[in-house]
Amino acid sequence: MGAQPLNCVWLDTREKRTDRVVLTANTDHWNKERGPRLEKVVYRNDIDPAEALDLVCDTEGEIDLVSEVSAADAEKVKNSEFARLEVIDAMRVLLGLINRGAEDAPLHDVRVRRALNMAVDRARLVAEGFGGYAYESAGIIPSYAGGYAGLEPYPHDPDAAKKLLREAGWPEGRALKLATTTATEPVAGMLAEGMGESLGIGVDVIVVPDEDLLAAQHALVEKVMPLPFDVLLHAWFDLSADAPPAFMHGFLYGEGGAFRTGPPVAEFDGLLNRFVREIDADKQRELSAEIDRFVYDEALSLFLVFPQALYAVNRNVNFVAHATTLELAETEVTEEHWSRRNGS
Amino acid sequence: MAQTVRQGSEEGGQYTPVGTIHVVDPSPLNWLFITWNTMEEPVRTDANGYLVGAAMEESRWIDETTFEVKLRKGIRFQDGEDFDARSFERAFVEVQRWKAPHPPGTSLNFHPDTRLEILDSHTVRMIFPEPDGAILGKFRGFHLPSTRFWDEIGFGYKKLGTGEGHW
Repeated sequence: MGAQPLNCVWLDTREKRTDRVVLTANTDHWNKERGPRLEKVVYRNDIDPAEALDLVCDTEGEIDLVSEVSAADAEKVKNSEFARLEVIDAMRVLLGLINRGAEDAPLHDVRVRRALNMAVDRARLVAEGFGGYAYESAGIIPSYAGGYAGLEPYPHDPDAAKKLLREAGWPEGRALKLATTTATEPVAGMLAEGMGESLGIGVDVIVVPDEDLLAAQHALVEKVMPLPFDVLLHAWFDLSADAPPAFMHGFLYGEGGAFRTGPPVAEFDGLLNRFVREIDADKQRELSAEIDRFVYDEALSLFLVFPQALYAVNRNVNFVAHATTLELAETEVTEEHWSRRNGS
Repeated sequence: MAQTVRQGSEEGGQYTPVGTIHVVDPSPLNWLFITWNTMEEPVRTDANGYLVGAAMEESRWIDETTFEVKLRKGIRFQDGEDFDARSFERAFVEVQRWKAPHPPGTSLNFHPDTRLEILDSHTVRMIFPEPDGAILGKFRGFHLPSTRFWDEIGFGYKKLGTGEGHW
């Protein structure tokens, strides 16, 4: 760990959740225009998310809100008698970390990285992989965040992708190694099929088993051993929408970035250092856009999508979704809600 | 989508909390979301994700390395203690004790040589050794609990004897 502002260390903070966590309203809170509007919030950690989805969709009085609903389950919620689907543009990104340090494939060459980006049919990915609940990404700042650079996604252009791959000397017969966790395995399968066809090479999907995930994360962050992939599907997020490079770009590409995959990029680090020392908000937004343009031009990642956050919510709960968090101060229930009918 | 209905007895912009909801949140960030639901920070985010003042009412750069924070008056912790510059100072001292207090890593750290000056009961100045353009974002993870929290529980203090990775 150095003295730079964006360094990172590895910390294992996993702890077992208690069965229930109960929050009660602080009626003395200063922000009375905001809330709290609920008397009590009970987190049910003793219920499996799949079972919870069934309960919110098919019953009343059991579960009122389920987060992290998958696009595959969206229709089930929309067709429910008891629940509705809430969709929010979230500060989330799904991308591919490109291993620029691979020894037997020229992923250090920007032409190869651009070829990978041109091999992705993002429109199909959004439609079929995310049920439409995502936006195609260009860079990692979405249009609804500060510092948006107005970039267009790389075009899906298989001919140009093949040409770039040839020019950069991609080894004959060398398959692309696409790694994924089990959470993004369906997306990896879809990408592998499409990219293989577009690039004219094989794509081997490597699935990291859940029981090996922690060790794989350690290897990624520590950067001691060679990484066993060319591209790793990776979901990341931001804590606010104001200045994404501080948390997103820094983690993904910075010298001290936990998820940097390949040697440090001096020009990027120079931009980031200017960014973190810039105290003028307007100039900082301009730098955000410049940083996002740089990582896009250099194709430092396989840019994929900005997934939306989906929630299943009981029909009598007025939920105010947030782009960066699950906050419940403004959420309220109608008079028809089970807890008010029951006097709970 | 259900129509938003004013609930409880709203009197002069105030709400009387009513009702209970049951939530299943499988997000790995659930611990953080609960913290944000229950603790004050200088800033929070609005529904669109943009920073807005919370325990901090306003702020300004005095010069390139001096950041002045006006704290909101009238905040009281759940245990009845009033929030003021001393609360901010205690949290600052506590967070500066650790090398990597925040689980995502050190990007939310204040520079270790940062100094804090209290100007009055609700005004503080942070003096950095170099400009910190990320300070408002860092405030998102700068939790401001009461004295009792620090003395009795702390972030991992009682359970683990350390705050590293548990802010």
